[in-house]
Amino acid sequence: MSKKDEDGDYNPYASIDKSAVVQEARQAFNETTINPRRCNLVLNKLLFLLYSGEPLGTTEATETFFAITKLFQCKNITIRRLVYLAIKELAKVANDVIIVTSSLTKDMTAKEDMYRPAAIRALCRITDSTMLQGIERYMKQAIVDRNPAVSSAALVSSLHLLGSNQDIIKRWVNEITEALNGKTLMAQYHALGLLYHIKQRDRLAVTKLVTSQTKGSLRSSLAYCNLIRYAVGSMQDDPALYNELLQFLDLCLRHKSELVVYEAARAICSLKNVTNKDIIPALSVMQLFLTAPKSIMRFAAVRTLSQVANRYPTAVAVTNIELENLIQDSNRSIATLAITTLLKTGREASVDR
Amino acid sequence: MSLRSAVVVVVAFASLASIKAVLTLDNDGERVLCRYFDPAWMASVKEQRAFEKSLFTKTYRAASDIIMLEGVTCVYKSSVDLFFYVIGAPDENELLLSFALNTYFDALAQMLRNQVEKRVVMENFDVVALALDELVDGGIILEADPAVIVQHVAVRNNDEVPIAEQSISQALQTAKEQLSRSFLK
Repeated sequence: MSKKDEDGDYNPYASIDKSAVVQEARQAFNETTINPRRCNLVLNKLLFLLYSGEPLGTTEATETFFAITKLFQCKNITIRRLVYLAIKELAKVANDVIIVTSSLTKDMTAKEDMYRPAAIRALCRITDSTMLQGIERYMKQAIVDRNPAVSSAALVSSLHLLGSNQDIIKRWVNEITEALNGKTLMAQYHALGLLYHIKQRDRLAVTKLVTSQTKGSLRSSLAYCNLIRYAVGSMQDDPALYNELLQFLDLCLRHKSELVVYEAARAICSLKNVTNKDIIPALSVMQLFLTAPKSIMRFAAVRTLSQVANRYPTAVAVTNIELENLIQDSNRSIATLAITTLLKTGREASVDR
Repeated sequence: MSLRSAVVVVVAFASLASIKAVLTLDNDGERVLCRYFDPAWMASVKEQRAFEKSLFTKTYRAASDIIMLEGVTCVYKSSVDLFFYVIGAPDENELLLSFALNTYFDALAQMLRNQVEKRVVMENFDVVALALDELVDGGIILEADPAVIVQHVAVRNNDEVPIAEQSISQALQTAKEQLSRSFLK
């Protein structure tokens, strides 16, 4: 980086030094009248350090953390948002981070919508089981909040906390279901994921969730992708559902989002005992993807085909012509995968070419 | 990959945490902003650096946008003197990773007035860090719409007008301040 300085390249962080930043933070944040501009610059440096440099030691992190808590007096929105980021990073190493609980709870329930989602996410990063019970009421309210960002923040945070707080979060199923049936796309995605993970160990409940949603009205493509994954799980757990859910996967092949189409096609290809007839529509999708202008789509298709070619060499062979064209692909991974797939499906005729 | 593992993987990756890392490197392969979300993967800075080095070596000249490396899927794109990477599990839907990368990049392009380059990213580090925070939370995609991310991040207070919206005199003033700041350091 020092070379850059000589070149005159502008980089305010070129000579950033860990202890200097910690020192600067302690001075700037402890001033009686906070200078937002200066604090913003120090926070920028600190975040740059946290996101790109060596991690801070416990003492340094704790000291910096306590300095940062002083900034809660400052009303500047950008500063507050950066404080949340720093709290989340420092909370991984600093001691006694629960000291900011009340400040964050206050922000989480504030009128200012700009604070709330980020405050929820920061708060949940420093929360343990006992504290979670204390904020349970607010979490339930946040999940069904009319602001989509608040709802998503609460749902995603719950997912992170689920591991050691199953019993508490289980009690929020009504609120989560309400979010799932709401209008917001992202909240649908997060709510479906959270419900699935809450019910994960109860096969019957998962089946119910999956079958109801396959007939339901999910609008989020991301949520659809996960529903497809859950459906594959249910099909393998319960053979009685196989045909019904296969029909659902088949329907997803005609979804308007290519994300969903691909997820469904690769799901069908992954099924253990799928018949030659049932796999054909999925392979047709892959065939189409092989000629797509986007290399990511070609890569995705050829990778799936290379996996499924072991089991269904004859069925995959219909894509041989497209695969042969990919041998010259500018992306070397695609070319390599095309060759290895052809080795599984190809016959003498194609080897000659 | 065998059939058995392929089947198992689809179910195991029913988790919402689909993103292992989002990296921004400069054209020397140095870190600009790197965040790792999966604590079980590349836990130490040493491992991370080694991974970034090999990733950069393999991608900085190749005119493609996806690569498998050390068992993970990396989608990437470059802009002027920066490289953006989104990394996911080997069996994560590649289109989903690419979708996340595009959302992030589009949000940055909107906020930085299409000047997605190192100098501008460094000068607006707070904005870029906040955008990433709005995109992914602990590996889970939090928001998929670049316009919404921009709206959530762009909460500049009145005393901090973005460069592109400043009048010439204001811009000069800002430049002066930045210059004196760098001298005072």
